[in-house]
Amino acid sequence: MSVYALQKLLRDVNRIPERREAYFRSPAEFAAGYELTDGERAALLGFDVRALYDMGVHGLILRPFTILHKMSDPEYVKALRGGP
Amino acid sequence: MPIVFACAASHAPGITAWPEAAPPAQKERVYGGFDELRARLDASGAETLVLLTSEHWANFFLDHMGAFCVGRAEAYAGPIEPWLKIDRREIKGDPALAAEIVETAYDRGVEPSFAYELQFDHGTMVPLSLIMPRMDRPVVPVLFNTLAKPQPSARRCLELGRLIGEIARNSPRRIGLIATGGLSHDPGERNHGIIDSNFDHRFLAAMVDADAETLAGFSRADFAAAGAGAFELLSWVALTGALGGAKGEVVAYEAVQPWATGVGLMSFAAAA
Repeated sequence: MSVYALQKLLRDVNRIPERREAYFRSPAEFAAGYELTDGERAALLGFDVRALYDMGVHGLILRPFTILHKMSDPEYVKALRGGP
Repeated sequence: MPIVFACAASHAPGITAWPEAAPPAQKERVYGGFDELRARLDASGAETLVLLTSEHWANFFLDHMGAFCVGRAEAYAGPIEPWLKIDRREIKGDPALAAEIVETAYDRGVEPSFAYELQFDHGTMVPLSLIMPRMDRPVVPVLFNTLAKPQPSARRCLELGRLIGEIARNSPRRIGLIATGGLSHDPGERNHGIIDSNFDHRFLAAMVDADAETLAGFSRADFAAAGAGAFELLSWVALTGALGGAKGEVVAYEAVQPWATGVGLMSFAAAA
């Protein structure tokens, strides 16, 4: 039940410039500062948007995070709805 | 003093972050609507604004989530999003008016939380940058929890709005009100990009008629069916409460696919 920590991490990246810089400098090092499950860490570091969504990340945390990754709206929709 | 200005406006980030993605005619009508609201605000002589706006995880998280929060800061900064194409800036607060709202609400059996520090995101900055681009009036933000279940009920929002309206009318100052958010959209969620124009028209019709009972009757299920972002319309319901029966006018409505939102702009005659 640590989707709480995962959302906290993503939200920190979205709203705190220093955290954002640290994340983009080294996502793995940055992630080590949060209590994520192995699955959450893998989804984060693999930028697996669908997996992050399915884990329960709120849309208004996930979409801004993907915008920081320069993901367009059509790409985002495809990531969420595509696949199984 | 009567409430001298009131409007409601969607705050889809695409309005400023990717305006060129919208069909030109739609973009023109939305931007034309914002121009109209700006002209009406300027003509109103409003001295200070109460912003009924949505919390978007900019200030609160699941470690502490209240239903409503009144900003009591001397100043606010925003937007937090570096990609919004709005320059980050400071906007003056109005702590005296904020204190009056909080204290009166507590006396009357509604207990919003309050904060001496808040940040603004697209939910406030998109409409504000278009309606008050010089950021030259102080503001009191009132944040609504539209994110985490359970959101406040529409009826409770109406009640909070009525209190705010009463305070504004009893004030010797010229107060304006802006509600932001909606209409149908499911931002970042599975139905991102799906717009329910039927819902939007039904909601707008109730706002035009200032039909408080119909608006208070919108359930969480009704809002959820129109997308997670439709909960932002709770602030519009509060605005109707504040205006005490003043009828509204739809200045623009466009279902803008590339902005993934039913975008609505409304203006209200000065409420007696």
